[in-house]
Amino acid sequence: MAKTINIDPVTRIEGHARILLECNDAGSVEEAFFIVNELRGFERILVGMEAHTLPQITARICGVCPTAHHLASAKALDNAAGVEPPPAGKLMRELMYMGHMIHSHALSLYVLAGPDLVFGLEGAAGTQNIVGMVEKDPELTKKALRMRSLGQKINEVIGGRGIHPVTAIAGGISAKLSDSQFGKLQELTTEAVTLVNELAPVTKELLLKLLDDNPVLLDKLNVPSWYLGTVKGGKLNVYDGDLRAMDENGEIRAEFPTADYAKFLSEKAVSRSYAKEVYLNVDGGEHMYRVSTLARMNVVDGMETPLAQKEFEEFRSRFGRPCHNAILQMYCKLVELVYSCEKASEIMLNPELRGESRVAAQFNGGKGIGHVEAPRGVLIHDYDIDDAGIVRGANMIIATQQNTAAINKSLKEGAVNMLDGNDDEKMLNGLEFVVRCYDPCLACSTHAVGRMELDVEITRGGETVRRIRRDR
Amino acid sequence: MAKALVVCIGNDLVADDAVGYQIYNRLLKHALPEEVRVLLLGVGGMALIEELKGEQLLVVVDAVQLGSPAGTIHVLDWEQIPGNDLRPVSGHGIGVREALQVCRRLYPERAAEDIYLVGIEGSCFDQVGAPLTKGVEDALPDAVSEILRLLETVSSPDAPAD
Repeated sequence: MAKTINIDPVTRIEGHARILLECNDAGSVEEAFFIVNELRGFERILVGMEAHTLPQITARICGVCPTAHHLASAKALDNAAGVEPPPAGKLMRELMYMGHMIHSHALSLYVLAGPDLVFGLEGAAGTQNIVGMVEKDPELTKKALRMRSLGQKINEVIGGRGIHPVTAIAGGISAKLSDSQFGKLQELTTEAVTLVNELAPVTKELLLKLLDDNPVLLDKLNVPSWYLGTVKGGKLNVYDGDLRAMDENGEIRAEFPTADYAKFLSEKAVSRSYAKEVYLNVDGGEHMYRVSTLARMNVVDGMETPLAQKEFEEFRSRFGRPCHNAILQMYCKLVELVYSCEKASEIMLNPELRGESRVAAQFNGGKGIGHVEAPRGVLIHDYDIDDAGIVRGANMIIATQQNTAAINKSLKEGAVNMLDGNDDEKMLNGLEFVVRCYDPCLACSTHAVGRMELDVEITRGGETVRRIRRDR
Repeated sequence: MAKALVVCIGNDLVADDAVGYQIYNRLLKHALPEEVRVLLLGVGGMALIEELKGEQLLVVVDAVQLGSPAGTIHVLDWEQIPGNDLRPVSGHGIGVREALQVCRRLYPERAAEDIYLVGIEGSCFDQVGAPLTKGVEDALPDAVSEILRLLETVSSPDAPAD
């Protein structure tokens, strides 16, 4: 008889996320679940709002990926109003977005995963963090933080505000690029390209060494799945394009515009989490799939910019297509970091950037659907807007939701290889490492000091046999 | 050059996480001395480093979960700010203390001399569109007073008190 597990919310400080491992009688892991303590009610509060405020409001969902929501929302409004922004409006949005990508990938690659690169996997806990990394390799850390900062600044110059951008609106960008903005962007994008050229080889060397030193990573973290990512003319595009679905054998099985997403993606409520899981429906089957950098590197045929194309070719020749290994998200982020810097400076050379940045847009009732590739994967905003311009319904599909099933599978792979012995520290390190590969979106309020990031609960026959968490 | 920087952290849309935002708005209504700069950040993390310009005093205002009743105001100096020696697993997990440690090591000229965290114990962090819980709402005036008191240490004597 399975026992009910009650976790008292008063005595227990909630973690950002929980991992639940279900064991069989022999003690081996049968199932693993990643459970996000996610924000609730977001879609609901949008109902009744004026549609034109959505790019600003939805950007405030998250302090980590505000620009992704800002732009997915603006694109959904373009769609609802039946307008297309002028070339300058699109280019300014894309340039703002390159800034965001640079910032996000630099943060994820260096601040989150950096200590693994610098220390390897066996370093002492407690020093193996960004502070320890500063001590070990101050020059690399300084460059990495500068990279993040350049991205953030590019984003801000166009987005208009520090944390949450405000300038993308239905029909384009609220004001055309000024001379002073242009001047600043020239400086920032030039420095970004120079810096990424210094950082990329060092980062790649560290990453390849990590893989060489830990063969288990490439051996054990292969989780075959389908992939979904955005392509334009077959090449990577994170701002615009169609969605391409690839199966676990590397066959392209569907390519469809954003507006058709509901035909291909099915959301399922699951009992263990408030977040719905999402599956790909293709040819009558329901398939587990992944989004994010790895998915994008798998589905695209190539990159638009030369240095990124070179890095991409090297990645593909080393790891093949499709590559199923979650740890290689780090490598993929590096390729995209190079791409984002190059693309930003390419946009700066386009004379159309300085043109009028918006067209008039008005809502006559109907649906609006838009998507971008958020740094962590496909992000879809879908609104119902009435003829007075009021939101009547909203649905969002975020990256982590789409990856949850694969995260569960990766955790199971990881746990099966790490549950032996009673070394909690090693086990937590291993599971955290797996989660970090996906850099999931967690409840967005969770910067609160004192919050635990992760709890692990191990059950057998429905009964909790162990709980692992770190003491503060 | 501002002598003090107050950085309020929080998401105004999310229940008790909005406490930093609410305090930010209240602070703006006070006639603060010119040498005090007040900023709002969504999440703390590495962005904090960029904002430091070698001030004498830094006050970080944020919601906390340290296990006290909701509304408890913690005024913690540098030594008392809980570290997060643990590795974060997502971009959401990078803490105030880590950012400041990185700043001290890499950009010592920007790091503040005195650092305080004014942390307001919250209880609800996952409801979008929900207001502050009662205990946190009630704590706002006292939290603002604590911040003003910390700022007095750098204010010139003739600066307006309120």
